Amino acid sequence: MQFSRNWLGRYVEVPEVDDLAEKLTAAGLAVEGIERSGDDVVLEIDVTTNRPDCMNHLGLAREVAVLFDRPLRAPEPQLAESDESTGDIVEIELGTPHCPEYVARVVRGIEVGPSPAWLRELLEAIGQRSINNVVDITNFVLWESGQPIHAFDLDKIAGSKIEVRYAREGERLTTLDGEERELDPAILTIADAERVVALAGIMGGLDSEVTETTRDVLIESAHFDRTAVRLGARRLGLHTDASHRFERGADHSGCRPAADRVAELLVELAGGNVTRGALENPHPEYFGDFEGTVDLERLNAFAGVDYPADGVEHYYRALGFEPRSAGDGKLRLTVPSWRYYDFWQRRDDGEVWEADLFEEAMRMFGFDMIPADLPAIGSPDLGSSREHGKRERIRELLASCGYAEAINFAFGERAADRLLPGLGSTGEPVAIANPLSEQYTVMRRSLLPNLLESARFNLRRGAPVVRLFEIGRLFPGGESEEIEAVGLIAGGGSPTPWDRQHEVDLFELKGVLESLYETFDSTLEVRPAELRGLVAGTASEIVAGDRAAGYMGQVDDAELPYPLFVVELESAALTEADHPEPVRAPSRFPSITADLTLTHALEVAWADIRQAIAAAGVANLSSFGLRDRYSGEGVPAGAVNSTIYFLYNADDRSLTQEEVNECQASLIAELERRFGWRG
Amino acid sequence: MTSPLSELAELSGQFDTEAAEVSDAAAWDALRIRWLGRKQGIVRQRLAAFKQVPPEERRDYGQAVNALKGKVEGALEEIEARLAAAAAPAEAAALDVTLPGRKPMLGSIHPVSRVAAEVVDIFNGLGYSVAEGPEIEDDYYNFEALNFPPDHPARDTQDTFFLSDGRLLRTHTSPVQIRTMKARRPPIRILCLGKTFRHDNDLRHSPMFHQVEGLAVAEGITFGHLKGTLDAFLKRLFGPETAVRLRPSYFPFTEPSAEVDITCTFCGGDGCQVCSQTGWMEILGAGMVDPRVLAECGIDPGRYSGFAFGMGLDRVAMNRYGIPNIRILFDNDERLLRQVKR
Repeated sequence: MQFSRNWLGRYVEVPEVDDLAEKLTAAGLAVEGIERSGDDVVLEIDVTTNRPDCMNHLGLAREVAVLFDRPLRAPEPQLAESDESTGDIVEIELGTPHCPEYVARVVRGIEVGPSPAWLRELLEAIGQRSINNVVDITNFVLWESGQPIHAFDLDKIAGSKIEVRYAREGERLTTLDGEERELDPAILTIADAERVVALAGIMGGLDSEVTETTRDVLIESAHFDRTAVRLGARRLGLHTDASHRFERGADHSGCRPAADRVAELLVELAGGNVTRGALENPHPEYFGDFEGTVDLERLNAFAGVDYPADGVEHYYRALGFEPRSAGDGKLRLTVPSWRYYDFWQRRDDGEVWEADLFEEAMRMFGFDMIPADLPAIGSPDLGSSREHGKRERIRELLASCGYAEAINFAFGERAADRLLPGLGSTGEPVAIANPLSEQYTVMRRSLLPNLLESARFNLRRGAPVVRLFEIGRLFPGGESEEIEAVGLIAGGGSPTPWDRQHEVDLFELKGVLESLYETFDSTLEVRPAELRGLVAGTASEIVAGDRAAGYMGQVDDAELPYPLFVVELESAALTEADHPEPVRAPSRFPSITADLTLTHALEVAWADIRQAIAAAGVANLSSFGLRDRYSGEGVPAGAVNSTIYFLYNADDRSLTQEEVNECQASLIAELERRFGWRG
Repeated sequence: MTSPLSELAELSGQFDTEAAEVSDAAAWDALRIRWLGRKQGIVRQRLAAFKQVPPEERRDYGQAVNALKGKVEGALEEIEARLAAAAAPAEAAALDVTLPGRKPMLGSIHPVSRVAAEVVDIFNGLGYSVAEGPEIEDDYYNFEALNFPPDHPARDTQDTFFLSDGRLLRTHTSPVQIRTMKARRPPIRILCLGKTFRHDNDLRHSPMFHQVEGLAVAEGITFGHLKGTLDAFLKRLFGPETAVRLRPSYFPFTEPSAEVDITCTFCGGDGCQVCSQTGWMEILGAGMVDPRVLAECGIDPGRYSGFAFGMGLDRVAMNRYGIPNIRILFDNDERLLRQVKR
């Protein structure tokens, strides 16, 4: 929001601009830009939503006056009223409680024309366009006092009547911006005896606008319910300087002074006579007095500093909180009308929360004054989530396996949702009601569609090999909780023989997965399955207990420059014990190795062979595994040679070759019997 | 006809001649096979010929054969050692050690995860633990319990993604604070971190980003404690020379609230384009937990106080690794990701 230094200077003696910027920033009005323009300086200030009182020059001047201990010179309108009574000219009717205050004044015989240079310059300094003296005056008063003003051409108000009411079904209004708008009963309006003439607190109507031929004007200075204004503005997609202030909350005692100020300026700059009296209907009971108590001892304990009692009292007084001593170092405070909306959420007993009041003293003294300290809480917080540590372990393991961590959006295209299997994805995905684009319409039920896009991104840039992983939440929809999953995608290989790296295949991914399982002290179990989006024969489910907790396979897409393989797994399938497994001390005695080449049918699953060896309970067999697979010359068609290595070792002695031979012989006999090739 | 014994003597001389000619490993190997080969080796044949020797000569013959065997074995060993000694420098010279090594492919951890892990590490040291919560939230946890009343303009600052079932994507990680405070009693010191979502998409904003928030609630927590904690945290994260500045601001869930600035990491506080010549960079939002929020969670604000802070992890990651815009962060370009080493 822009402020003019010269304008500010009308109400307070403005300090050197760098000092001003520093102190305002330290008090919560962050000066984000300082721009010199002619003999003026324009300040860009970030006024937070709770401070509508500072969204105008007088309000900002009030803070400057307190911060620099200078007097505030608020305008005091002087009016010479004519004999004609305003009440004889127009009648006000409030048909809703959502307008607790409506002040109307009438100025007759004005001459619409250009504004004087001083007014134009001030408005232009803050980026406002000068239109004519009447419009400029209303605009000026808004930027002076924060009170939105509307000026009607009195001749165009039918039946000399103003009514504040909600729109009726089917009513229409062409607003000042030339748009014809259809209204509905949720929109608060200003109407005359016949029709709607303005959107209350938002924008006036074109028909009753002040034009060059206007002679008499009706000045509206009202207070509208902020929720009513907000809902109406949102409904119509409008956001104006007026609605911005009403939504955040204007000064509820500011209507009359602002109406008088406009009348004074109209007389001064456009000629004319102010009629006698303002029509008003103050409802102080609507707002009531907000009071609260500040206990200096509690303030100091809260801030962690010792504030001087007289300094605290001084600031509350200067800010308009009317401090009264309540004994025992306590101050009784009343919230000024311009700060009403910053304090409107009160305690159950109607008192203002002390923290809201503490803030005022703390920001005036400045946060710099509070010494930095570390809290002494005896015990550490031991409520740490297991998921976090587990996630970090997964991340580190996958990175150490050569995979780069990706992070994708948690939403994606509806069309992509069904391309790949996904976890727990029955029914419809969770849809975003207000998506940014067609690309992001549903919450993901699998990490893979977006991860596949990431792989394609790399492929388009000529990546010879892709290895990516992601850890993130899936959203199965319905009553289901979010699922944390791990996704892997990889393909390609090193094009340089010197590096001797292998091409990525399904068994690389499976190996990574096996390492992951081993890290979590569990064993991977997969079973072949038919899954959409994956090449038949490569697809398999990862089993946890009796259900599928993941899957892997090759992406079914002939357009890819090289095959891509994927894995997706629920993190929950990786179970970990409370404590790590104890290690086993290695044997001090030498081990003996033996190899076996088994010729068997292609259909025989390695899992079955492995299972048979494990189940045989061979004494002193410490490990075994697949050394190689071979089919081709010398191996019958339909068969394959699996060479298996065995490592024998005993903890208490050196094994003899004879012992090992004996074990191997019975094992070989068993394997040949069960799996051996029969031609 | 020569006797078996004299034959052996001849053979011994012959071996000496042949051994003298051996000058490389191949010749040595040929010599070894010719004399000690298991089937056709000369020594083996002579041993096998034992049976053809007349019984009266067998004793002498046996000794002579064994002597020959010992001599051949010893000589071969000697020659092997000599060759090895001679060959060593030659072979070393044949290896070009400046050839590139065969690096295993290293993976990488995403810049945002790196920063997150470091933040967790720092706060673990201060006695905080990590708390978790869902990414899909409802209005109550994301707004209402955090003192955002319905139809309040403060909600405008939190452009929200709504779901068709009426729920929403959390706009900050603060709902985790609410869930924790409702589930546990003070003292509480937690860190919540994860994905957050705002309806915004341009060069400076991503619809999904990452936050970390901290919360401490106990008896006697002061604003000074907030300052001290942030000062310790930010100096660890950005370096000991970092200055930290708190200035009043507004968030519905803290009172008072503060924007927290650090000395600009680009110019060190001298003023540059990045910091609009101010020398400061806005880095996080913080404040004392609003008593309304404590009361809503069933914690007596008359007895307990607390502070909270929240920081965007993406900006810190961008700043740390010199990533120019937030969209690049989620392109998942391996050429970028794999540069991140620590």
